[in-house]
Amino acid sequence: MNASNGRRALIFAALCAGSLLMIGPFVWAIGTSLKIPAEVFASPPQFIPRPFTLEGYKDVFTVLPFPRYLLNSIIVSVSIVALNVVFGTAAAYAFAKLHFPGRNFLFGALLVTLMVPFQVNLIPLYRIMVELHKISPVIGVDTYFGLIAPSAVQVFGIFLMRQYISTIPDSILESARLDGASEMRILRTIIFPLARPAVATLAIFTFVTAWNDFLWPLIITNSESMRTLPVGLAMLSRKNSVNWTDTMAGTVLTILPMLLVFAVLQRRFIEGLTAGAVKGSG
Amino acid sequence: MLGSLSGSRLRRTAAGYALITPAMAVAIAFLFIPIALSAYWSMTEYNGLTPPHWVGFHNYTYLLSEPQFTKAVKNTVIFVALGMTVGPALGLATALLLNEKVPWRGVFRTAYFLPVTASLVVVSVVWKLLLNEDGVVNAFIELFGIPGQAWLANSNTALPSVIVASIWQGLGFETVVFLAALQSIPAHLYDASKVDGAGSWARFRHVTLPGLRPTILFVFVIGIIGSFQVFDQVFVMTGGGPNEATRTIVFDLVERFRNLELGQASAVAYLLLLLLAALSLVQFWIDRRSRR
Repeated sequence: MNASNGRRALIFAALCAGSLLMIGPFVWAIGTSLKIPAEVFASPPQFIPRPFTLEGYKDVFTVLPFPRYLLNSIIVSVSIVALNVVFGTAAAYAFAKLHFPGRNFLFGALLVTLMVPFQVNLIPLYRIMVELHKISPVIGVDTYFGLIAPSAVQVFGIFLMRQYISTIPDSILESARLDGASEMRILRTIIFPLARPAVATLAIFTFVTAWNDFLWPLIITNSESMRTLPVGLAMLSRKNSVNWTDTMAGTVLTILPMLLVFAVLQRRFIEGLTAGAVKGSG
Repeated sequence: MLGSLSGSRLRRTAAGYALITPAMAVAIAFLFIPIALSAYWSMTEYNGLTPPHWVGFHNYTYLLSEPQFTKAVKNTVIFVALGMTVGPALGLATALLLNEKVPWRGVFRTAYFLPVTASLVVVSVVWKLLLNEDGVVNAFIELFGIPGQAWLANSNTALPSVIVASIWQGLGFETVVFLAALQSIPAHLYDASKVDGAGSWARFRHVTLPGLRPTILFVFVIGIIGSFQVFDQVFVMTGGGPNEATRTIVFDLVERFRNLELGQASAVAYLLLLLLAALSLVQFWIDRRSRR
């Protein structure tokens, strides 16, 4: 009894130490964002900002274009989520429940691309966007279209939704069809409501990926006004003389929306990010 | 009746095509065409301004003998090898601890998962601050009499620093996945082995590890594929330096793209694809063999 209590105390202590290592850097980042620049590298390190200041946040909102980055990130991520939920679910329903010539071939062709890393598409995608931009200034390079379109439908999302929709019994769909419902109507009134858990997983997974995406937004944006939060933040941190209070204020601003989503939807969130991990591999 | 049946089948076929059209259009324009184009460009000399000029496999043979690219491959392999051994091992250890009956388990799980929710850019920026020469990591180790380092500016410590930040970011993912798998191992297996007199190591070896096998494979597959594409951390923390000590395959690709060496950059992309495909085959083979 005593030995097992001792063992549990040890495990508890180890987990406390580990958690401190996980949370510590965030606490340090928040602390730094509330310091004056001269105190950032004070020796010995100051855990409590003294003097305490909101200058960093003021800079981020007034001098630096972070409100614009934030707006861009929201527009891009929300659009990508909406497009994936609608088009991904529609395609998944067709691939799972409707029969049409070429169905398996097309789905197979999509699945094969899961093996292809994004970097393979990167350069042609950029060239395509350059060409599209010549047609109209609102599409192609350095536009919302350019940021959103390549992620508008993700194959992994279709795969995930198809797996789930396959488990919905055909009999439900058949009786709706006998009642004269069109396939669009079935998708809207039966598939979407029944597949809500999978839609939630897809939405969270897509949102996190889009919000945190870096390589593509870095390549496709030229002007400051089109940058997303990660790109703006990375550029700020790569300046020759980094203003660390501003950079950390920007960092806090970048993770805050994600933390809010995480706090509200914690269980769903973890499920969304580890989608398919345990079940899919079993 | 027959007529209406085939009519409804026709409608369903039409609906099928209609429903996949948006997804297929995006896939064709932004997936299939780019994949084919970059295969072609990898066989050409191309700067994006003048038409591509066919050179066959020259880009591939050139890259494989070019010091910058081979350095990038070497760095990436070190990154993957260290990250994907230490990371999953720590994740499994943490999951085993979290699987014990201790208070605050939910709190701990959330703490470990926090970095997973942050983007790699955020993590990299924060670690760049921590690892600054005058930063808090140096202040901490100096308490123990260890001299501070210019972690990211020294070619011996830059790559390990990037690896540490990456492991830190991914640890919560590995922990949560392993924890879920641990909790799905039926308790009666443990009870049975206890009755058989198995010690805790024997139980771990003969019940826990076999139960985790598919999850371990999953973590490696996802982790290795993702790690080979490492870019964000390098771009933010070191810019590929110092002296190309942290140049990775994707960083190399982006550099060539920016220098308008689009043919070479495409060849880098295809070499990455071949590498990942080969790894998938190996993993598939391991999976098959261990199932037998």
